[in-house]
Amino acid sequence: MATTIDKVPLTPRKAIVLTGKHAVLIAASLIALFPLLLIVSTALKTSDDVMLNPFGLFSSFSMENLETAWNVGGFSNYVVNSLLLAVPSTLLVVVLSTTAGYAFARLPFPGRKIVFNLVVLGLLVPFFTYMIPLYFQMRGMGLLNSLVGVNLVLTSTGLAFGTFFMKAFFSDLPGELEEAARIDGASEWQIFARVMLPLVGSSMGALAVFTFLQNWNNFLVPLLYIPNGSFRPLTTGLYLFLGGRSVDIGPLAAGALITIVPVMVLFIALQRQVMQGFLSGAVKG
Amino acid sequence: MTQTLLTPASAAHTRAAGAGGRPRPFTAATRRNQARLGILLAAPLVVVMAVFFFFPLLNAVYYVFVDFRGVNANPPFVGLRNFTELAMDPNVWAAFSHNLVWIAIGTVAPLTLGLLLAVLVWSSGKWTGFYRVAFFIPYLLPHVVIGVVWAWIYDPSSGWFNELLKMVGLESLTTGWLGDPNTALLAVLGTAIWATTGFVFMILLAALQNVDIELVDASRIDGAGAAARLFYVILPQIMPVFLMVTTLTLVGGFSVFDIVFIMTGGGPDGASEVLGTYAYSRAFQLNRISYGTTLALTITAISVPIALFVNRLQGKLSNQNGSV
Repeated sequence: MATTIDKVPLTPRKAIVLTGKHAVLIAASLIALFPLLLIVSTALKTSDDVMLNPFGLFSSFSMENLETAWNVGGFSNYVVNSLLLAVPSTLLVVVLSTTAGYAFARLPFPGRKIVFNLVVLGLLVPFFTYMIPLYFQMRGMGLLNSLVGVNLVLTSTGLAFGTFFMKAFFSDLPGELEEAARIDGASEWQIFARVMLPLVGSSMGALAVFTFLQNWNNFLVPLLYIPNGSFRPLTTGLYLFLGGRSVDIGPLAAGALITIVPVMVLFIALQRQVMQGFLSGAVKG
Repeated sequence: MTQTLLTPASAAHTRAAGAGGRPRPFTAATRRNQARLGILLAAPLVVVMAVFFFFPLLNAVYYVFVDFRGVNANPPFVGLRNFTELAMDPNVWAAFSHNLVWIAIGTVAPLTLGLLLAVLVWSSGKWTGFYRVAFFIPYLLPHVVIGVVWAWIYDPSSGWFNELLKMVGLESLTTGWLGDPNTALLAVLGTAIWATTGFVFMILLAALQNVDIELVDASRIDGAGAAARLFYVILPQIMPVFLMVTTLTLVGGFSVFDIVFIMTGGGPDGASEVLGTYAYSRAFQLNRISYGTTLALTITAISVPIALFVNRLQGKLSNQNGSV
C-alpha cells in the first residue's frame, strides 16, 4: 500500500493538521459504523430493555431476541433458503463466466464479437427494465417459486459482469504460454484446463466472493419470483417481518444480525477479494 | 491490515506486461479446434443469457406496444398509447422530479464526501486499513437491513436522529422523518448517501494511489493551498475515475428502487415515489403490466445514453493522461 507521508519530523502545525484529519475521519467512521452497532446492540439486549431504553447501547445482554428470531421468526429456515439460493447461483456464475470469458478472450469463433457485445449489454441494462416480463415468462415456464428458476435468474444477473471480469484476466495471460503448450502437443481443451485455468484461480475466487455477496443480499429477485414464499431467503424474510402488524424490534434486529453475519465474516476474512471484485466491477464496467 | 489491494493501476500494469506477445499465425486445424472449443465454452452462457435476459428484454419491447394486464393471452395492440398516457400522467412527472432530486443530491453528496474522505485518508497515511473497512461496510449491507436500521434511526419517538437533534438544541426540527411527506424523500436519500459514500471513497482512494506525489509536493512548495492542490493538482489526475463514479451514481439515480421500496414504498401519499416504485406498483398492484414496463423501459432509454456519453468522455480523458 503506497503511503504518501514524508518522513520529515512533524512541525507543530503539521501535527495539528494531522490530528484534525484523523478527528474528521474518526467521526465519519462512527457515522458509517453506528447503524451496525445499533443492530448488534439491539439484537443482544433483553426485550424489556429494547422497549424501555431504546437509546441504551449494549445496556444489557441476552440471547432471547436471537432465539425468538431463529425459532419463532423462521430465520433458521431463511438461512437455509439463502444458502440454497446463493450458493448454486454463485457456482454457476463462476463456471459459466470462466468458460465463456476464456472463449471470448482466446478462442476466436465466428460471431464472437457480436455475442460478446450482447453479453456486455447486460452491464448497461438494469434488471429493473425486464423484471416484469420475466415474471410472466417464469410463470409460463412453471419456474415461479422454484429453486431452479430463481437460481437461474440470479445466475443471469451476474453473468454479464462475471464474463467481462474473467475475460479481462484471460486476455492478460501471455500468448507464449499457449504457444508453448500447443507445440508440446496439448489440445485446445488441455491448454484451457491445464495451462490457463490454474493461472486465474485467484480471480475466480474474487468473482465467487463478489457474486455470493450480491446474491446473498439480493432482494428483488426472491421478492418477485418466490411470491408464495416457499424458499424465502433472509432478505425477503426480513422484509416480511418488517411489514408485520406489530413490529417487534428486538427479534427484527436479531434477524438483521443473522442476515449480515455471513457478509461481515466474508468481508473481514477475504477483504482483498471482496474489494477487488467491487472495484474492478466499477472500474471496468 | 496486511493485504494490499489490487488497484486499477497495478492491474493495468500487470496487464500491459502480460499482454506482450500476440500469438503467431495458427494453422487451419488449430483455428478450427479453437472455434469449436470456443463455441462449446461460450454456449452455456449464451443459453442462460438468452432465456433470462434477452428474451424478457425483447418481451419488454413487445409489452410496450400492447395492453397486457396479466391475464389476457392475446393483448390488444395499442401502438404508442402507453407512451402518451405516460407523458400525460402527473404521477409520472412527480416521480420523475423526485428522481431528479435523487440524481442531483445523490450524485453530488457521495462524490463530495467520498472525495473528501479519500483525500484525508490518503494524505494522513495512518490507519488506512481501518478506515477502508469502516467506510466500506455500509455499502456491503443488504438494502433490507439498511432499511430496517435506518427506520429505527428515523423513528419519531425512539429514534436516534431526533434524539441527536434534541441534544444539539434543534428540537424544532424533529419529525417522523419517513412518515412526514416533507422529509420522506430526503430521509431515504440520506440513507442512500450513507450507503454509497463508502463505495465512492474506495474507488477514489484506489485512484489516488496513482497520483504523482511529487507534483503535489512541488505545488505545495510553490505556495498552493490545500484547496488549490485538490482542484488543480490532484483532481485532474484522477478525473477519469471520478467521471466513471459519476456515471454510476447518475445511472443509479434513474433506476433507484430497492431502498425506496423498502423504506417508504413511495409514500406517504407519493411523497417519495420514484419512477421505479411507480412502475412496480402499476405493474404488480394494478396489473397495468404494459404500462409499468413502458415506464421501466423509458427509464433505461434515458439513462443508458447518459452512461455511454460519460463513459466515452472518461475514455478520452484516460487516453490523454495515459494512465488508469
